[in-house]
Amino acid sequence: MMMTRTRRGRHVGRALAVAVAGALALTACGSGGSGDGSGGADAAGAPLTIPREDMGTFVRNFNPFSPNVAPMTQQAVYEPMFVYNPADGSTTPWLATEWSASDDGTALTFSLREGVRWSDGEPLVAQDVVTTFELQKELLGGYEYLETVEAVDEGTVTFHLNRTYAPALYEIGQQIIIPDHVWSQVDDPSKETNENPVGTGPYTEVLSFESQSFDLGPNPNYWQPEKQKIPAIRMLAFAGNDGANLAAANGEVDWAPQFMPNIEQAFVAKDPEHNHYWFPPTGAMINWHLNTTKPPFDDVDVRKALSMAIDREQIVDVAMQGYTHPADCTGLSGAYDAWRDEDLAGSCTWTERDVDAANALLDEAGYPRGADGTRTHPDGSPLTLTISVGSTSSDWLSVAEIISQNLAEVGVAASVDAPDWSAVVASYEDGSFDTGIVWSNNAPTPYQFFRGVMSTATVKPVGEKTFENYHRFGDEDADALLDEFAGTNDEDAQHAIVRELQAEFDAEAPVIPLFPGPEWGAYTDVRFTGWPSEENPYATLNTRAPTTVLVLTTLEPVKG
Amino acid sequence: MRFVLRRLGFYLLAFWVSVTLNFLLPRFMPGDPVSRMFARSQSRMTPEQITQLQKLFGLDDRPVWQQYVDYLGNVVTGEMGVSISRFPTPVVEVIAGQIGWTILLGGTALVIAVLLGNLLGILAAWRRGGALDSFLPPVLVFVGSFPYFWLAMGALYLFGVSLGWFPLRHAFSAGSSPAWSGDFVADAALHLVLPAVTIVVVSVGGWMLAMRNTMIATNAEDYIVMAEAKGLRPGRIMFRYAARNAMLPAVTSFGMSLGFVVGGALLTEVVFAYPGVGYQLLAAVQGLDYPLMQGIFLTITAAVLLVNFLVDIVYVRLDPRVRAS
Repeated sequence: MMMTRTRRGRHVGRALAVAVAGALALTACGSGGSGDGSGGADAAGAPLTIPREDMGTFVRNFNPFSPNVAPMTQQAVYEPMFVYNPADGSTTPWLATEWSASDDGTALTFSLREGVRWSDGEPLVAQDVVTTFELQKELLGGYEYLETVEAVDEGTVTFHLNRTYAPALYEIGQQIIIPDHVWSQVDDPSKETNENPVGTGPYTEVLSFESQSFDLGPNPNYWQPEKQKIPAIRMLAFAGNDGANLAAANGEVDWAPQFMPNIEQAFVAKDPEHNHYWFPPTGAMINWHLNTTKPPFDDVDVRKALSMAIDREQIVDVAMQGYTHPADCTGLSGAYDAWRDEDLAGSCTWTERDVDAANALLDEAGYPRGADGTRTHPDGSPLTLTISVGSTSSDWLSVAEIISQNLAEVGVAASVDAPDWSAVVASYEDGSFDTGIVWSNNAPTPYQFFRGVMSTATVKPVGEKTFENYHRFGDEDADALLDEFAGTNDEDAQHAIVRELQAEFDAEAPVIPLFPGPEWGAYTDVRFTGWPSEENPYATLNTRAPTTVLVLTTLEPVKG
Repeated sequence: MRFVLRRLGFYLLAFWVSVTLNFLLPRFMPGDPVSRMFARSQSRMTPEQITQLQKLFGLDDRPVWQQYVDYLGNVVTGEMGVSISRFPTPVVEVIAGQIGWTILLGGTALVIAVLLGNLLGILAAWRRGGALDSFLPPVLVFVGSFPYFWLAMGALYLFGVSLGWFPLRHAFSAGSSPAWSGDFVADAALHLVLPAVTIVVVSVGGWMLAMRNTMIATNAEDYIVMAEAKGLRPGRIMFRYAARNAMLPAVTSFGMSLGFVVGGALLTEVVFAYPGVGYQLLAAVQGLDYPLMQGIFLTITAAVLLVNFLVDIVYVRLDPRVRAS
């Protein structure tokens, strides 16, 4: 008996060993490519470790024109001509030292910084910028206002626009620049994976690349070597927030840009001295969109009355855990504080909670409240609405629940509909939705925001797919103001126009602003110091924003 | 031989039905890949870019039947196209990069669960009503009915965070690269323990119960009584006479499960940030990445059918009755 069993056992053992070895061999084949052994970044000191919560695995693709590029490509490998920081509204010259617009605003000239070298040692020249914009337009579109890009001399580029378009400066200036001498050799730039990128950024060298993590080392030819204090950047892949949050709570990552519920307890309390977070309200404004092609949402009084019924304080405190603040009737998020009309913001009516006024306004608008307390349309049918939110956004789901409770107080029955985001977005796009909680355009100037919420140019009929202005509201007065804004480069005039746009927004209530989206960001200063904060807002804690490079060139290792 | 050919014909038919479903199902989902990508980017992409992206991805607007004919051709030649959510990486590369880990994790966990479960089942049935038989099945079923996510998180906190015995994530330490060295294999094995053990813990109960039940039925057979009457050693009867016959259903389920291993273990991958096909599939479905979805489904289908075919052949060896019929 003993013999039989041992023989069997040995067979099984051998089979197991073969299976495991086979699987390992497959793995080794699949993940090949790095090949430089177990070098990694540990030799030079602890790397700056950053989790990426929405990528279960990384693919070695550093092509900045690819929509699925590896993280940090646009932040650490390639750089723009200047960096705009929404947290304090400042602009930092980067690859360009200065820029100017012609008198009629149709030509923008950038002077490139002298002495900038690509990571392969070649100098940065004007032709690099020209090629960048050619490829960007060809591969990813946009810049339809751009006529030609001209390399005036080695260090000067002029952009010729087909019309005056004020937002162009920020779009062009924040475009990351790629090297002409590399990309002109690439046969099909759309399918290039650019495994060993050549960039001007601070961290360009791929030290190791595995599907679960990769290390970027310092650019040997960086133009501000005194700012490369981080030994390396290490990105970790996570298939969800839980794993990334655990790594942050456990102190294994330095910079955690993902959403963490209950962050005081889950993160800060683990090490109150070193763990910090800062959520500046500089993200896109989050609005409640009412489909204005459907009655009663085509009535501005109804929109304002519904808005007055909402308890934004409760939404911010409960659903958003106090991480942001209530919106005002200018519609502008915290990123546009410099543009906000403070007088208007101080005298808002329809974004303050006032149930009595909401009831009065609805009565007046012709939506009477019946004996059972619920309101009806003028034709007698019950006034109900649906709020659509994606099921995975638990925070926005509670926002919708609170709105639904608030609306019950004014006799409107609102139900929350939470299928998968894709189904929700599909109903936004074709205009079949009732109401929904939606982000808005976020750009350096408020032009894109106002264009997206109330320009007739962005209104598509129901049934036709659109990717902005889901609520399908257009206002001709706003059109005129937007054209005026785009047509001037004079900042004072722009501010005056934006004030008028805010007044128009206040009058029409095209969408119901709820709260500015916070930019999530947490860090631990155990290993690195110099993080941006409310006191020193030189950037946000976003790892996917243009400002990320400012953080990467400011952080320094803790000594000792 | 005729048996094998007949089975082969059946499998070809099943393969055709499932690849057709693979083709149709993703296309019933609302939206298209680019608007999904746009929605996920939440205002970081401009509407102008969308048409350009559609062109870039080469999205089809040909009639569905034409796409279907092309698709069938591609299935035969193994050409799966370029992933959209991972553009411009080919689907084959996306799958190849992950499937090794998936097979390592799923295969190890499955083999351990099957061996352990069957052995426990055999022993429990052999000493029916004994300590093992009355104690283990309820406990294992109880543990197995825990939500996996909860159990895995619990194990991760207890053994990973509090006790610090095992690494918290990934298939090997960050900064190292797969290599055939003792250090790396030990590192990978250490990373494998928690994910594999949690899967074993939730699945072993099912294997044990199934084996125990068939084994009890087999123990009542005349030939067992006969063997006992002839005075054979109990161990020999247990393994060579009873277990060998009771094993047949287990072989079938093992084959099925083995095929499904390549589908990945989504929750394990999410909790332990373990690389694998499961999360790729989830991402593909969320991003409506038709080529990647089709590629993964095709891999799963092919694996399940192939393994079942092999099991059928093994059956011919194991069970003379199949040969006779």
